[in-house]
Amino acid sequence: MAGFADLNLPQGPDKKSLQSLLEAAAHLGYSAVALNHVIDFKEKKQEIIKPVSPSELFPSLPIVQGTSKRIKVLTRLTLVVSDPSHCNLLRSTSANIRLYDIIAVFPKTEKLFHIACTTLDVDLVCINVTEKLPFYFRRPPVNMAIDRGIYFELLYTPAIKDSTMRRYTISNAISLMQICKGKNIVISSAAERPLELRGPYDVANLGLLFGLSESEAKAAVSTNCRATMLHGETRKTACGVVYTVKKPRKVEEEETTVPACKKAKTQA
Amino acid sequence: MPAQLARAPRHLLVCEKGHARHPRSRHAAHVRDHAYSCRVSFLIPECALLPEVLKSTIADIGEYYLVRNLSIHELVAHEFIDAFVKKGSCYALTYNTKIDQDNTAALLPNGKLILSVDKDTYEELGLQGRPSRYSGKKAMRYIITIDLTDAGFHPESKKHNRVLWALKEKKPLEFDFLLAWYNTGAEGSTLMSYFSKNQIQALKPKITFSTLRDLQCPVLQSNDLQGKPEESCSTEELFEWLGAVLNQVSLDNNSSSFLSTYCCPEPNTVVEKAFLCTITGFIIPEKIIQLLEQLCCYFGEPKLAYWLTLTVHGFADSPVSWRESEHGFHKGGENLYNFVIFRNLDYWLQMAVGAHDDCPP
Repeated sequence: MAGFADLNLPQGPDKKSLQSLLEAAAHLGYSAVALNHVIDFKEKKQEIIKPVSPSELFPSLPIVQGTSKRIKVLTRLTLVVSDPSHCNLLRSTSANIRLYDIIAVFPKTEKLFHIACTTLDVDLVCINVTEKLPFYFRRPPVNMAIDRGIYFELLYTPAIKDSTMRRYTISNAISLMQICKGKNIVISSAAERPLELRGPYDVANLGLLFGLSESEAKAAVSTNCRATMLHGETRKTACGVVYTVKKPRKVEEEETTVPACKKAKTQA
Repeated sequence: MPAQLARAPRHLLVCEKGHARHPRSRHAAHVRDHAYSCRVSFLIPECALLPEVLKSTIADIGEYYLVRNLSIHELVAHEFIDAFVKKGSCYALTYNTKIDQDNTAALLPNGKLILSVDKDTYEELGLQGRPSRYSGKKAMRYIITIDLTDAGFHPESKKHNRVLWALKEKKPLEFDFLLAWYNTGAEGSTLMSYFSKNQIQALKPKITFSTLRDLQCPVLQSNDLQGKPEESCSTEELFEWLGAVLNQVSLDNNSSSFLSTYCCPEPNTVVEKAFLCTITGFIIPEKIIQLLEQLCCYFGEPKLAYWLTLTVHGFADSPVSWRESEHGFHKGGENLYNFVIFRNLDYWLQMAVGAHDDCPP
């Protein structure tokens, strides 16, 4: 079992509110969170900026309650796509996209959902919970996504805010469960204020309402989040096996050692 | 789906009865099997002041130690094994780790070191273990058991070298440990002096006393676990009532109270005063056995009370519950037992566990 993670904390401009959100998440027992930067293509052309490194934003990270480790902060990018041309951004090898830890896509039409599950290089596919689904889930793309290791994300904060959205959340989640049978689900908040965050065991109980079994619901907050984070990490490697890390080399040291070896050889 | 929602996570309550002075009574064995206890409370009805004997037993409960940033390979070192594990009973448990999220370690008094590690740590560590029983189809948690008192574990053996290499060089693991040692009279160094270079603190368990007034207590018959409808209460009803009393839940079902509608089970009597004592800390079974003996001797003189209870809670995050059966934390990690001791020294023993746990012995 992995530590609990909340993979969707909207990254607002205000640093203090983010800090209070982080402290609330650490107090509730989450070991990892992901700061979400949302790009919506319906608005004017937006540039994908480089993600701000968490160590610059927060000089000291809070300690997770009940352990002695600090909370881990990742960066995440969500693309809201309503047109197939928007996906070109993901296919192009834009340098800035590579710098995010997790990439998620929010498809608005059935065709885009199919494309996201089968071909796009993403970690999460967001499921709309705030309005009635414009399309039905079909088994082939969902099964392909499960095979590729892509997880479906459900949000729970809209359900806290409004009762109509609560109904849509539960009905959309149940229709997803009927197709995917509870596999590959991640439940996260989209909490803008600390009051909208809920503890990991409570979120696991909420998963029971969506039709997940007890162990699947707990996995949706812990094991599946860990798998998503690892899936995002493998994008920076070659086939998930080889890492490259830039190591600073001291050039002068090398020059002095090489002649010394040569000297030793001639002396011997 | 509604049927699934109505079910609570699985929990078990095992009830057993016996007589404390019977030669084959297993009450001490049950206490010894449950290694790590974090809270002991006893409730004596019809008692306002604690007898001196009990007071001195509680004061003698002993201290435990908290060591910060202790590497596990120090517990496998032979100096430690010879000084503490082989002489007396040594108990160690990691502090501030969660059993379902982090790596946990525990040292049992019979010399077995249990490591409960997650998948990444297990693969990096390189020691032989088995997947956890509560882990699901894809094993995410592994249990490694190392027997420190094994004859094949002497300093130059391959086993010992491998374990030391794994814990010291391959993947050094450091935790904060709670330690306690029951010395069977042998001379030698103490834990304080052995770990003086780590930051070791000696701590005393926290003890609170309170007197409850006008408490409704159920009527119990010692030879009847199930209870008869008008004459006595069953063990399950007693267990629920005791939980309500120890958590200070009011028993009168006030219409203005939104917290609880729980009422004391029928038949019950109103007791003018009852004494409740709670001890919180890292308490070892040997001390609990002494406390149990003194509570049995409480009925040596005639008293108004018909029964008294002793409740022991285990740590929610310990890797083992009874003997070496694995303990997990699903939605709750309770593993507790409760003695009800009657005037004639009959006892009821109730053992309760939560979802990811084996049936207690």
